[in-house]
Amino acid sequence: MIKAIFFKEWIKTRWCFFIALVVTTGMAGYSILKINKLVSLKGAGHLWEVAVTRDALFIDMLEYVPLIVGIVLAVVQFAPEMQRKCLKLTLHLPCSQKRMIFSMLAAGLTLLLTCFIVNFGVLYACLPAIFPSQLVWRFTLSAFPWYLAGVASYLMASWIILEPTWKMRIVDITISIFVISIYFLAPAPEAYNSFLPYLTIYTFMLIVLSWISVSRFKSGKQD
Amino acid sequence: MKNFSKIILAITIAAIAAWLLPWCYAFVTAKAYSSPFVLYSSLHGDFIITQRDNVVSRHDTNGNEFDENEVDSLLPTMYMRQLVADGRFPDSILGKHVEPQQIQMTNFNFRSTPRDVNYVNAGIYFLFESMPKRVDLEMPDDAFRFTDNRIEFLSMADNSINEAKSDMFTRMLKEKGFTFPPRKIATNPDPRKEYDNGALLIDASGQLFNLKCTAGRPYVKQIPLPDGIIPCEAYVTEFRNRAYLGFFSATDKSFYVIMSDGSIKKTGIKTFDPKTESAMIIGNMFDWTVKITRTDADEYYALRADDFSLIKELKINRPSSYVPGLSFTSPLNKYVIPHF
Repeated sequence: MIKAIFFKEWIKTRWCFFIALVVTTGMAGYSILKINKLVSLKGAGHLWEVAVTRDALFIDMLEYVPLIVGIVLAVVQFAPEMQRKCLKLTLHLPCSQKRMIFSMLAAGLTLLLTCFIVNFGVLYACLPAIFPSQLVWRFTLSAFPWYLAGVASYLMASWIILEPTWKMRIVDITISIFVISIYFLAPAPEAYNSFLPYLTIYTFMLIVLSWISVSRFKSGKQD
Repeated sequence: MKNFSKIILAITIAAIAAWLLPWCYAFVTAKAYSSPFVLYSSLHGDFIITQRDNVVSRHDTNGNEFDENEVDSLLPTMYMRQLVADGRFPDSILGKHVEPQQIQMTNFNFRSTPRDVNYVNAGIYFLFESMPKRVDLEMPDDAFRFTDNRIEFLSMADNSINEAKSDMFTRMLKEKGFTFPPRKIATNPDPRKEYDNGALLIDASGQLFNLKCTAGRPYVKQIPLPDGIIPCEAYVTEFRNRAYLGFFSATDKSFYVIMSDGSIKKTGIKTFDPKTESAMIIGNMFDWTVKITRTDADEYYALRADDFSLIKELKINRPSSYVPGLSFTSPLNKYVIPHF
């Protein structure tokens, strides 16, 4: 049954996944191309200098990409369920409701993390040719909260979409905006280093919020 | 599961409330406070306090009021350009013949804030050529980093290690008694500076070293420290008068000046903790005015410019704007970490 759930989610989200993969990898690749262009125009030394003395990251254009991808994936995966009332059918299947809901979320998270891992792969494959390991770590560690924000946005968007009433949806959206803003407070590169382990755990714990919405849906809450 | 979900949501809402409500309260109740501009006048023998509220008032610590022209004359090194423009610049100050150019050469400003210290360093540094063939300094074509047992110079053009230069500098550092890896590395990577004092390094054993690249070769000098003094922060200064190599603060919160010959002099600043307090020094050829910004007050120290001994001190309390609550960022550092 779980295999079937994963397959159903794959059918629903595969096009979104491929587009997200192309867009995020393309953005990462474009950042690398821009860096190479700058190297050919001004020399690698200028980039090192700017990275060290002015805290430049050169991959800033990726900042809100994971956030948007997370929201879009959640919308593509869960909005049809709610609109076509498919969730009701899913919850009546002969399988644990928790297992099914969390399998659906796990399927979405797997696709999202695949996108993000490919992104980091592109960065790690190209940046060490230009920058020393210290700066490559600096760039990727600084970008890590953006990708955590992508995971958080997916989980919180799922929570909002699965919520059956608009009144609570507005409350959930308000909470989500404040939570997501925590991932974008960085006043400097690597600002989150000591907070990252806790933020990562918290981000993945947000998966349980969807169960509140599903519980409310099961208890018949509606507008 | 439902209870666990509700606990996570409750913690999230509580954290947001603890974060935003104090912020909103502080935002709504914030009152404007303008810190007075305080400078020591060796001519007057007292601090001159310029307060800009609704009206500008200028007075000393005894309450004697001054007008703008009087303050210009009492602080001739600060308002030198105004005095020259008015034709009021004196021939001599405190019995010493001075020219405006001399004043320009010896005036300097120095600033350190906790945010300059509390941040994650890139771990990559630049060492300029201290004896360049041209007058202007140029950014070097390599950068350096420290590993646990050596210094490595990296060619920026191809991101490769310059083994010969790395070995030469590592050998010289070891010969001079440097213990790897360093605790602190202070440089000034600004190519617009007039000359280069190299880097100040605090090694693993708490010793202070000056590292320069002179004619492509390493120059390493150990700065002798008094017994029991362990430096915690170092600052390279490249002021126009070339009298100093830099400053350093020690773990006992004392503050020292490193003279250009490598000798050190303790200043009359009572305490300074660079991790939590800001320091601003406005120096001239006669005296230094040092402002230490603490959490509840600004402390001012007037120091003699020759031996840095304390002439006078002043404390001005600041209204507290502290509102208890959860915060993720701080004016004291560049980290994001939740704290109360």
